[in-house]
Amino acid sequence: MFDFEVLVQQLITGLSNGMIIALIAIGYTMVYGIIELINFAHGDVFMLGAFFALTLMGVLGMESWGPGGQAVGVAAMLVGSALFCGALNWSLDRVAYRALRRSSKLALLVSAIGCSFICMNLGLFWGGLPMDVFAGGVAAAAPKDFPALVPQVNLLGESFIRITPADALVFAVTIPLMVALTLMVNRTNLGRAMRAVAQDPVAASLMGIPVDRVIGATFFIGGALGGFASVVYSLYNNTIGFQMGTRAGLDAFTAAVLGGIGSLPGAVLGGLTIGCVRAMSDQYLETRWTNTIVFCILVLILIFRPSGILGSSRKEKV
Amino acid sequence: MRWRPGPIVTILAIAAVVPLVDLVLPAELALSEAVRTVFLYAILALGLNVMTGYAGMLNLGIAAFMAIGAYAFGILSCEIYPFQLGFWPALALTIPIGALAGFILGAPTLGLRGDYLAIVTLGFGEIVQDILKNLDSITKGMQGINPLPAPSIGGAMWTSNDERSWYYLLLALLTLTVIAARNLERSRLGRAWFSIREDELASRSMGIRVERAKMIAFATGAAIAAFAGGLSASVLSSTGEPNNYDFQVSILALCIIIVGGIGGVAGVLVGSLVMVGLNSIVLAKATAWMAAHGIGSQGNVMLSPNNWKFLIFGLALVIAVRIKPTGILPPKLERGRV
Amino acid sequence: MKAMEVHGVGVTFGGIIAVHDVSFAVEPGEIFAVIGPNGAGKTTLFNAVTGIHPPTHGHVELDGREQVAPMTRQTMVELLVAFLLVGVGVAATVNVERLWQASVIDNYIYEQPFPWGSALADLGRAVATLGWLGGALPLVCGGLVGAGAAWTNWSRARRSPDHIARTGVARTFQNIRLFNELSLVQNVLVGMDARMRAGFFSALLRLPRFRRERERFHAEAMKLLEFVGLADRALEAAGALPYGFRRRLEIARALAGTPKLILLDEPAAGMNPTEVGGLMALIRRVRDRGTTVILIEHHMKLVMGISDRIHVLQYGRTIAEGSPDAIRSNPRCIEAYLGVEENG
Repeated sequence: MFDFEVLVQQLITGLSNGMIIALIAIGYTMVYGIIELINFAHGDVFMLGAFFALTLMGVLGMESWGPGGQAVGVAAMLVGSALFCGALNWSLDRVAYRALRRSSKLALLVSAIGCSFICMNLGLFWGGLPMDVFAGGVAAAAPKDFPALVPQVNLLGESFIRITPADALVFAVTIPLMVALTLMVNRTNLGRAMRAVAQDPVAASLMGIPVDRVIGATFFIGGALGGFASVVYSLYNNTIGFQMGTRAGLDAFTAAVLGGIGSLPGAVLGGLTIGCVRAMSDQYLETRWTNTIVFCILVLILIFRPSGILGSSRKEKV
Repeated sequence: MRWRPGPIVTILAIAAVVPLVDLVLPAELALSEAVRTVFLYAILALGLNVMTGYAGMLNLGIAAFMAIGAYAFGILSCEIYPFQLGFWPALALTIPIGALAGFILGAPTLGLRGDYLAIVTLGFGEIVQDILKNLDSITKGMQGINPLPAPSIGGAMWTSNDERSWYYLLLALLTLTVIAARNLERSRLGRAWFSIREDELASRSMGIRVERAKMIAFATGAAIAAFAGGLSASVLSSTGEPNNYDFQVSILALCIIIVGGIGGVAGVLVGSLVMVGLNSIVLAKATAWMAAHGIGSQGNVMLSPNNWKFLIFGLALVIAVRIKPTGILPPKLERGRV
Repeated sequence: MKAMEVHGVGVTFGGIIAVHDVSFAVEPGEIFAVIGPNGAGKTTLFNAVTGIHPPTHGHVELDGREQVAPMTRQTMVELLVAFLLVGVGVAATVNVERLWQASVIDNYIYEQPFPWGSALADLGRAVATLGWLGGALPLVCGGLVGAGAAWTNWSRARRSPDHIARTGVARTFQNIRLFNELSLVQNVLVGMDARMRAGFFSALLRLPRFRRERERFHAEAMKLLEFVGLADRALEAAGALPYGFRRRLEIARALAGTPKLILLDEPAAGMNPTEVGGLMALIRRVRDRGTTVILIEHHMKLVMGISDRIHVLQYGRTIAEGSPDAIRSNPRCIEAYLGVEENG
């Protein structure tokens, strides 16, 4: 018999995961929108953000704090990881991408793949730190437990459908961020400069816009969103590992393409769709086929609507 | 004009005398076995080079085609399956099977912008591993398919002890691949690929059928990669587990062509020597040495050379595109001919 | 019959009308110029005609035939094949474990030699029991996706620049687009590709047919380079060529496909007066070879000197068409364009 409550439950899980994917996807879509680069390292920056948060938790000993203190701790991790990932993403642009602005797109992409690998290796080393939260550093490559700082209760009381504080946290973090980002892009000088650079970097620089700084700021903001996402992801899923960046990156990129790359609402729509598809596939098909299904969706979109649901097709200038 | 051997001939000639050098070297320094790995990766990288070097399509999932070749070889030749073909027919069939796989992935995706294709191939590389694991009733899951046949001479199959026979067989097959790649490169097709790599729109406006040319490049590259996969499965007498064909392998192949010199056969050979040499000679010997001296046995992650692989590959890519985007041995255009 | 007829072509980009309802007809063997101030939509019109950004409205005819490839029986067969291939492929993939189980593992595993006959019979029985949900549904869904993808590809390809180039329309670009890493000969040979016949295997195996074709086209490419005066540089890389020669090479590359019609987008841009004189002579010689020439140009001496007829655009609309003399004395053209340009 079809169980309606299971469907709703899966939908909640799907939406929560979808919001996290969307937050990562925005990082891809912003960078792609401005310099037409798939920032391969973005998924791994996200992964390092989670490691940073876990380290912060271990150094400050957050697990032993009281409930009120833990709320402060979560906030500290969010801010800390966001700054860390933003700075990391910014430095990647500075070190590995900026010098290649005039080279071929292939060279830029290869450089991004290289950065992704370097970050992944740093994650592996990081996981080997001799700290309690990293299990004392043995088995560096193994997945790490991320302690659940948010209580595991059902906010709906005795109802069969569960909404946990972790779900609530996902929405409480992601929605304001997305609103703030939209306002930033549409209302501020920086946002206007970003849109100008995205349209025509040469013209923008002729109008006195410091193109490199605007691009750097875009990388910082995209990375910071990845940092927020990493903390929310870790608190939601409670396991992190140095290879999680690749899978998260693939999902987020699929979401960005599905929604229409370069479009912020598109990234959110795409993220929610992918989150729900994953949840439904886990429930009603088989978990082991979920990645294959997401991949098939990516291929199908690219065949039938390469510009995505909300995107507009860009035309090459001749 | 006097004939002088080009870099390709020189490299292959040097490779041909390595086993003779091994005769005088002490056993623990013997090179042939490591060089065999170089040959396998060189064939794989030549396949990638057809897609990425010639036609400019970045492929991040070349290992998937290698896996398809390996498993096709396994299923066609292993005695527990219906087909039970011998070494040569099974190996020959990996080529059309690889081309077909390339066609299936390429047909819907080759019209895309280059960077989208990179993501699709990356995803493909991941899901082929998933599929091979999931279909374990057919692919034997994590055990891999074994034993697999080796070529036989006079009725007796080679064993892994037939070092030198294997060595020269792989060298001969590599040479064949090199000739095939060179012939394609210096033909109407190669020229079309180069023109697409440089300016797709201009080539299109000159009447080059871009999708078709890309499709041929993709299928050819996939076929060569599958061939390398079948060959490596035969050398190991097992397909190994699906994870043996992961992203790391694809990136090693990409490093080979970027570091060696993208778009040229000689560059790919040099790149294989450098990168695979680093990967399976230097790192492996360093690991062995450190284990012998008791370093790194406490489980410190940084004291195991293998854990530096990603970092080295990553740095190789970043530094190569920054400092010498054309690679160690850049392709020389055969301007007179073609 | 006209060499090219443009019927009410309009191009819009996201709400902006770049070209609005432009029509003209070009006679075979004519030199036809399209002029207009910057932003008048000239290049957009060229891009529409060559399929780079297909027109939003209207259509183009070449030699009296629709420029867009028609739906033929072969296309329909291809769609059907795509339906069957992808449909059967998807249905087989979804059920592969089950079918393998039924035909191989259940009864015959480890049997040597393998009993093909009975295994295939088992396979047939297993296929028959797949039913609607397991067999027919994936078949139909996969088939629809396959046919849909084939249809999408076809409708993209039918008006793509390569299709149009192969119907005998060649072009040059305003901001020269040569293949800089290829030699001059190779650039020209790329233009000849549409006429070559040797395929994959004859190249792979270096068959005699491949060698013969290579020699033939190589000689022809050298002749074309001679025609534009670049034969002595044939083996240099195109990227190293001085500016004035680059235009000539682009024209040679465009001529390589033996087009009936050649479109030149601002061929004189950035040239000095001597070079312009040489270019005018070259364009005349191209026309004398029997190729119809359509050109966009700002250089008035060139346009007035060689054009048979001139079409004037402003803000994407036609404002006049006629002989050079008629255009020179047309008050609207003087107001829109000529006066400004000649003073500036």
